[in-house]
Amino acid sequence: MNSTEQATARGRLLSLLVQLAFLAILLLLWTLATTVWGVSRILLPNPLDVWHQFVAVVSSGAFVPDLEVTLGELAAAFAISTTLGVSLGYWISRSHYLIKVFEPLLAAIYAIPIILFLPLYVLMLGLGPNSKIALGATISFFPIVLSTIAGFGHVDRRFVTAARSMGANDLQLFRYVLLPAALPVILAGLRMGFTVALLSVIASETIASFAGLGHRIVDLAENMETPRMFAYIVFVILVVALLNAVVSKLERQARWR
Amino acid sequence: MTPAQSAISVRGVSHQFGEAGEARHVQALLDTSLDVTRGELHCLIGPSGCGKSTLLNIMGGLTAPTTGTVTVSGKAVHGPMPRDLAFVFQESALFPWNTVFENVMLGMTFQGVAKSERHDRARRALEAVGLLDFAEHYPGQLSGGMRQRAALARALSLETGILLMDEPFGALDEQTRMVLGEDLSVLLARSNKTIVFVTHSLGEAVFLADRVAVFSARPGTIKQVITIDEPHPRKPSFMTAQKFHALRDQLYGLLHDEIRKAMSETAQPRRRYDQAGETDADGKRS
Amino acid sequence: MAVIGADTPYAAARAVHARAKRLGRRPGVARLGVVILLFLIWEIAARFFLDRDFISPPSIVLMSFGELFRTSGVAPALWLTLYEIAVAFVLAVIIGAGIGLAVGLNRFAHHSFMPIVLLLYGIPQITILPIFILVFGIGAPSKIAFGVSHGMFPIMIAVAAGVQKIEPVLFVSARSMGANRLQLFRHVIFPHMIPSFFTGMRLGMSGVLLGVLLAELYVSTAGIGYFTSVFTENFDATKLIGLVTMLAAIAIVLNEIVRRAELHFARWRD
Repeated sequence: MNSTEQATARGRLLSLLVQLAFLAILLLLWTLATTVWGVSRILLPNPLDVWHQFVAVVSSGAFVPDLEVTLGELAAAFAISTTLGVSLGYWISRSHYLIKVFEPLLAAIYAIPIILFLPLYVLMLGLGPNSKIALGATISFFPIVLSTIAGFGHVDRRFVTAARSMGANDLQLFRYVLLPAALPVILAGLRMGFTVALLSVIASETIASFAGLGHRIVDLAENMETPRMFAYIVFVILVVALLNAVVSKLERQARWR
Repeated sequence: MTPAQSAISVRGVSHQFGEAGEARHVQALLDTSLDVTRGELHCLIGPSGCGKSTLLNIMGGLTAPTTGTVTVSGKAVHGPMPRDLAFVFQESALFPWNTVFENVMLGMTFQGVAKSERHDRARRALEAVGLLDFAEHYPGQLSGGMRQRAALARALSLETGILLMDEPFGALDEQTRMVLGEDLSVLLARSNKTIVFVTHSLGEAVFLADRVAVFSARPGTIKQVITIDEPHPRKPSFMTAQKFHALRDQLYGLLHDEIRKAMSETAQPRRRYDQAGETDADGKRS
Repeated sequence: MAVIGADTPYAAARAVHARAKRLGRRPGVARLGVVILLFLIWEIAARFFLDRDFISPPSIVLMSFGELFRTSGVAPALWLTLYEIAVAFVLAVIIGAGIGLAVGLNRFAHHSFMPIVLLLYGIPQITILPIFILVFGIGAPSKIAFGVSHGMFPIMIAVAAGVQKIEPVLFVSARSMGANRLQLFRHVIFPHMIPSFFTGMRLGMSGVLLGVLLAELYVSTAGIGYFTSVFTENFDATKLIGLVTMLAAIAIVLNEIVRRAELHFARWRD
């Protein structure tokens, strides 16, 4: 390595050390706060207690019923928003005029915090999974439909011209030109839709539900079972991270074919 | 010229974009007539905006002319005619998500070639342009010259009698242009394809063409057709011949005033291809 | 003209051309038409087909706005929520821009701390909402805190990115003319930071709105979250829809303000 490369490598190493030190200090402060400084156990549990609860929850499988509820709601919401979003998006993309009419409208609605609709859905559909599915579907519909419109609408016209000049019919055009050309954009929209659906489902469970991971955290908070609550928080963060990572990986793989 | 000899016949074609009185109105072509002989390489040359690319699209059935008719191989043109004409565009319209080989195969799928024949025809076409070794590459991995070869292979595999080429070498550097030009000349000598070739380059026109149609500035019409009497395949040495220079000068003389006229048109209405109702297929300036 | 029908045979192309001309070149008009149509569907469905306990037609919602505001506590709740949003936004901007500058200006700080910022930004904050309530209580402070927590990250990231983008040659030339650190900040860093700053503010406003609303909907004794619960429990669809509409309108207005500000101040940027 030459001297500049050495300097960069050293710099990177130092940065990594700073980050690790940051986490270590955080952990230290947390431990001190709960032991020596006497912060209320209800507010901030002992890290060791949290760890034990985490292990207990994971090993006993106590998380399973709530996880099933949450994932079930997510799956239903995403299925609905994908089906509606891609179909409507494709139909709109077929004409410049329709794009001009609908795209700004959809973008404008997306700009509203759609979580506001939750009370309406709870009123109409109750506290059960249906209101969560409805909210998740509503919120994730928008990135999907908008990216579908963008994907199909911005297919380079030269591709279409070339295909038509060689005699392609509508079905061939869709299958061999439009779909592969639009796919990267649509997949990115689907990934975003998935992430947003997951977060909406958990958020709506937190606010108004009697089951699911979001609800479990709230339930434990209300019962002052803080160590177990923290354990569940960590668990949910890991689940979200894992699901997002899987979906990102799928998106990248699908792009290459 | 007898109907048998005429590959493409253009009669009284005029074309405008937009309606008269609109900001975007442009008269691209005015009462243009042309005959392309079977087996010749016919060049269309003219200043920017003179309508040569538009005429090519009209010939190929991609654009409907405002008035006039086009006949290809005796048949009236109402839309794309994939069995009679194949296009090669300036920016290669190869699909970046398919390999070169898949691109060539796909063209034949669109045209309706039987599955059993496609593989062999694809191989032969790629061999003819010298790209067989790169068949499994993606267009993004190839140089500009190679991409245009691939586009040519795709057009050749369709085994049409006529090739319509819209400034196919326009985006390439000069050396690549010269080499590809020589290859095209060789191809022409071997097959009896009819080629209509749009270009900006005087040298390219003289080197490649059997006849050159010189366009006036917008609104485009054909000023004159020059004949270049030199058999194909043409050698690089042709480019240094006295005949070459004389023809090139003749072309320049015809074009010079038109180029000046085109440059001086500063208050041109801007053509917007995203307006509803526009029938120009590829949105390119001509 | 249909995007994928661009090269259909002449007759079809001409027909599409004619139809588009008839519809008019005003998509705005058509858009309005769509919105009106949707409201009509809502009106008819709610009036004749659906249960009044669960949904109310827009005409009735509109007429009940007066009654909604006269309902004791609703108007103060709206003001309280606006107050929470405002305070949260100001704090988010101060903290976000401050940290963003600190992290962005120094290469080492950027390499070290930016990953931490991004990591924290990636955490689904809804999971720690109960902790915010435990720490800050059920009143306004927890809503403000949650709003700040959501809003400060986009601002941080945008400002840090904006500062990073400043061409080194500008620093060099300013220093060569003798600029000290304060002058450097005022004349080189600050002007270049502004477009990114306003972009960050736009994103930050969305974040603050989300945070405050989430916290309000979770638990509230005097804010709008209280009333959404009350109206839901009492099956008062009319007032609930009215309240949600009001909040949506407020959100739209606030978002629009920051969006316009961003466009205005980002004018000089390419």
